[in-house]
Amino acid sequence: MNNLKIAATERSPEVDFDFERGVLVLRGESYPEDASAIFGPIFSALETFLAEGEKREVKMDFDLTYFNSSSAKALMNMFQMLDHAAAAGTKITVSWFFAPDDDTMKEFGEDFSEDLKHVIFNLVAVEDAA
Amino acid sequence: MLAKYYRSFKKDLDQRGIIFSFSGYMSEGILYSLGDALRQKMALEDTNISTVKKVFSVFVEQAQNIIRYSAEKVSGDIGRAVELSSGMVTIGTENNRFFIVCANVVLASDEPKLRDRLERLQKMGKDEIKAYYKEQLREAPEEQSRGATIGLIEIARRASEPIEFDFDPIDKDSFFFCMKVSI
Repeated sequence: MNNLKIAATERSPEVDFDFERGVLVLRGESYPEDASAIFGPIFSALETFLAEGEKREVKMDFDLTYFNSSSAKALMNMFQMLDHAAAAGTKITVSWFFAPDDDTMKEFGEDFSEDLKHVIFNLVAVEDAA
Repeated sequence: MLAKYYRSFKKDLDQRGIIFSFSGYMSEGILYSLGDALRQKMALEDTNISTVKKVFSVFVEQAQNIIRYSAEKVSGDIGRAVELSSGMVTIGTENNRFFIVCANVVLASDEPKLRDRLERLQKMGKDEIKAYYKEQLREAPEEQSRGATIGLIEIARRASEPIEFDFDPIDKDSFFFCMKVSI
């Protein structure tokens, strides 16, 4: 399927889903007016990709510095999708990046990871993720 | 007289520790610009990143609440559909803390539900608020409430003290709603 590349805007994150390589990246900030307009296309592409059923490896990176509460809800949906696919046999590794002094983003990573039963989850502190 | 009048108005704001105050029709564009200025101002003062994030987050949720729920709106078509929501957002410092105040008109019919939600959050401790946030994250959004509950929980979560709020009756159909958060 076609890769999904969406440039970041002032209030929405960069999307770089390389489906061929199985490397998916969400990067930046997310506090759009309408979270469903931003995340809708992301969900449907991800859903199609995960449903393809090829049991290969998928790497998903969340490199976010800020998101609002409606984006948090959308992220939760993404994690649920990823965990379902992992339960069905796809090997999925999620990396959650945060700046070492950013307690809020670290805590969000911990919160999301608590619900994951099948995805391999890495919490990664990075100096330059500001 | 003109300068004198507005100087005294400005002085009054300064004395209340106000960094900036916006009153009028709020849009997502204004939200972005004010938020950007707010982050720059805090960065210039070497505010720690954790505090900057908390203040910014409360500001965004409050401003988006005004945009979505203010009962005082104008809408129309100026080549594209436009809807503007009236409200107030004020940010300042007092007693070495940041405070963010938002205010807007709410319908009398929406007041009991909003009051219940805020009273519930006021009584919760930090861990309870965190657990409640997670519970709401997993739930499907409520009808008619484009994410209001989770937004208020996010605000309560970032606050250093319980949220203060008040409703001032305007007439039988509406209230002036005001909320103050300290960080």
